[in-house]
Amino acid sequence: MGLVARVVEHMGIPTVNVSTGRDITALVRPPRSLFINRPMGNTFGRPGDAGGQREILRQALNFAVRADEPGVLVDLPADWNEPFEYFTGEATPEAIAKQMKT
Amino acid sequence: MEPIRYVDALNNKYGAMGFPAYKWSVNETAPWTPLEKPLEECTVALLVSGGISHCSAPAFDPDARNDHRVDAVDPDEPTDGYQIHDIYYDHTDAGRDLNCIFPIDRLREIADAGEIGAVAARHWSGFMGRTYDRSRLTAESAPAFFENLQEDGVDLLVAVPA
Repeated sequence: MGLVARVVEHMGIPTVNVSTGRDITALVRPPRSLFINRPMGNTFGRPGDAGGQREILRQALNFAVRADEPGVLVDLPADWNEPFEYFTGEATPEAIAKQMKT
Repeated sequence: MEPIRYVDALNNKYGAMGFPAYKWSVNETAPWTPLEKPLEECTVALLVSGGISHCSAPAFDPDARNDHRVDAVDPDEPTDGYQIHDIYYDHTDAGRDLNCIFPIDRLREIADAGEIGAVAARHWSGFMGRTYDRSRLTAESAPAFFENLQEDGVDLLVAVPA
């Protein structure tokens, strides 16, 4: 996703990434990134919380205006009020093996 | 809490299964196009990579690798008409309310309030990851995607990785 943003930006359209994977984003370095420390899958918040979702989206839009340094990565204040972990969920060895085969 | 270290976690998981580490792209610099219009005049599109497809379209393959598929998403379709097929994040909440990860309704509200110029004619869902053939991505798939954005007069793309 960050690579796609880099190409789009390079070709002439500004992009802003809203990321929940800080380390990945720091490596790939899209042009503008906001990091929010929430579970991947809840970037904009919880189901039914339209106000909260809108606020994060609004912050991303405003950040696109404000950002002035290629590769900038800014942390939004932490606000997820319960612990969460790396999602090990459903990726089976078979699924990963299928991806690894070239 | 500290941000989750996804790179280490994925490498550990792959390593424990006897697979080589995923080689993430590492970039020291980034491209840049200034946003030259005020937000109130910008046409904005969304792009999400969370395996989201309209129920009338085929599901994404959660096991895919090098899947460069990207679907156009009609911004006016009701957001309860989508399916999510991805095994690398917890999409329980997004399955109940797509806006948790793909805030189509929220962007429309922001446009209705005059905070942006317009919602783009098409949003986008795809580029699911596990992309090993990155030269094809940068040389073909992403430039083709750019052409679509340009066709729609997009001034700003909000990208949401998942």
